[in-house]
Amino acid sequence: MNFCANQKPETVEVLLVDDEEHFREAIAKRLTRRGMSVAQAADGGQCLELLAEKPIDVVVLDVKMPGMNGIDVLRRINADYPRTEVILLTGHATTADGVDGIKAGAFDYLTKPIELEHLANKIHQAFEKIQRLKAARAEAEYRKNIERQMIITERLASLGTMAAGVAHEINNPLAIIKESAGWLKLLLAGEELRDMARRGDFERALDKIEKSIDRARRITHQLLGFVAKSSSAAAEVDLAELLEEAVQLIAPAADKKGVRIIRKYSASSVFSDPYQLRQVFHNLLTNAMYATGSGGTITVAVEDGAEAARIAVSDTGQGIPPENMHKIFEPFFTTKPPGEGTGLGLFVTRGIVAKLGGTIEVDSTLGRGSRFRISLPKHTALPEHKESTSS
Amino acid sequence: MIKIPTRVLIVDDEKDFVEMLGLRLEAAGEKVTAAYNGRECLKVLENKSVDVVILDIRMPGIDGIETLKEIKQRFPLVEVIMLTGHGSTESAVDGMKLGAFDYLLKPADFNDLTAKLNAARKRKDEQEERIRKAEARLLMRKSGDV
Repeated sequence: MNFCANQKPETVEVLLVDDEEHFREAIAKRLTRRGMSVAQAADGGQCLELLAEKPIDVVVLDVKMPGMNGIDVLRRINADYPRTEVILLTGHATTADGVDGIKAGAFDYLTKPIELEHLANKIHQAFEKIQRLKAARAEAEYRKNIERQMIITERLASLGTMAAGVAHEINNPLAIIKESAGWLKLLLAGEELRDMARRGDFERALDKIEKSIDRARRITHQLLGFVAKSSSAAAEVDLAELLEEAVQLIAPAADKKGVRIIRKYSASSVFSDPYQLRQVFHNLLTNAMYATGSGGTITVAVEDGAEAARIAVSDTGQGIPPENMHKIFEPFFTTKPPGEGTGLGLFVTRGIVAKLGGTIEVDSTLGRGSRFRISLPKHTALPEHKESTSS
Repeated sequence: MIKIPTRVLIVDDEKDFVEMLGLRLEAAGEKVTAAYNGRECLKVLENKSVDVVILDIRMPGIDGIETLKEIKQRFPLVEVIMLTGHGSTESAVDGMKLGAFDYLLKPADFNDLTAKLNAARKRKDEQEERIRKAEARLLMRKSGDV
């Protein structure tokens, strides 16, 4: 994001308001020659009409005009167009008007007869002030954005820590349930209980218990996998190759469903963690597959850059409703039926991408599809792997 | 072929877990001993021959990693499989650097567990075999010295 407003020289939009047409035309011509864009108005009413039509940076306003008086026009401009600066032109005998004008919010005033050099300078000064304020506003906006991002990131991080803690606590009882169910199954299969009444019912119930344990285990392991910091090994990763591996995994399912996969690979490699990246690609592709119906397409793309590589996964699926957009990265948010999704895929994906120093963005149109874009730095500084001191 | 039982020591502060896993392993033909913390584990090893220790990483008192260090120092031939309910495979990896044979995430699949158990047992047997041969060579050289 850039908040420097004066990146390229902008043309200053000037509106010249004076009832003396000759004077106006002459000044306008000379200002135009200096590279300004000059509009003209003969009185206050016309001036306000023009302001409503197009954005104006600086209004050069004669104080003494028939109809609406210059000071009144100034007040209206200040009220309705706070970002427009006004330079007042006063008669020689009425410099007091100019002072009043500044009190009323004018940028400055000039006394007629004016020197063009002088006027041009004043306009430039006013324009600089506008640019300054604009840059400050953009910066404030940028900061607000960053802050919002940070709040979301922190929130997700604390949610992640908590979820991992819960997962860990649950793994132990889960292990006991699993061993107990396994033990019961073993007993049922044994000689002693061969003629037991309703054995089939017991077996079915045990199967359900085991299936549910596996389901719970998938959740806890996925959650914990997200927090697991280590076993990160950075290596030179050919992104197209890695993405293609993930594509191959879903290719049979895509075939069966009638979803076409379009590849747009350009050669790009990053120094990053291939295992984690594979998980990211797999998650995104699985989601895309789920969202895309028969006859749809999934497009995978790798694009090289100087500092970062970009990977995009787009689908022509159902899209994400706007009200869900801010929730999709939260843990346990899922639109899949119970048992099919853990609600952790994107949460984990985002966590990994952030850990690898990258960013993930999504845009989506309901009914038309979604696009996830990842930007990865060419070199990821992975946390130094802890070596045991004894070695 | 008659299965030679692996002498397994399960170490976990979750008593129910130790009990149920023990029952299953016994049913599978292994010889199981239980310990509920690191200290007990070491005490068992002092008094009993054990092939493989299944060791929980997180335990009150001396934790799994400390216990592992002690085992590897005092009973280097005993193989250790780490068990963790933790996501941080970090500690499991640390454990393997300290000489653990392998690790499993809780709740572990019983087939995975027995597979690793057998592999650990095999490594221990081979190691012991090598030691026996080396000792025999040593003995021969000593007696055969001119």
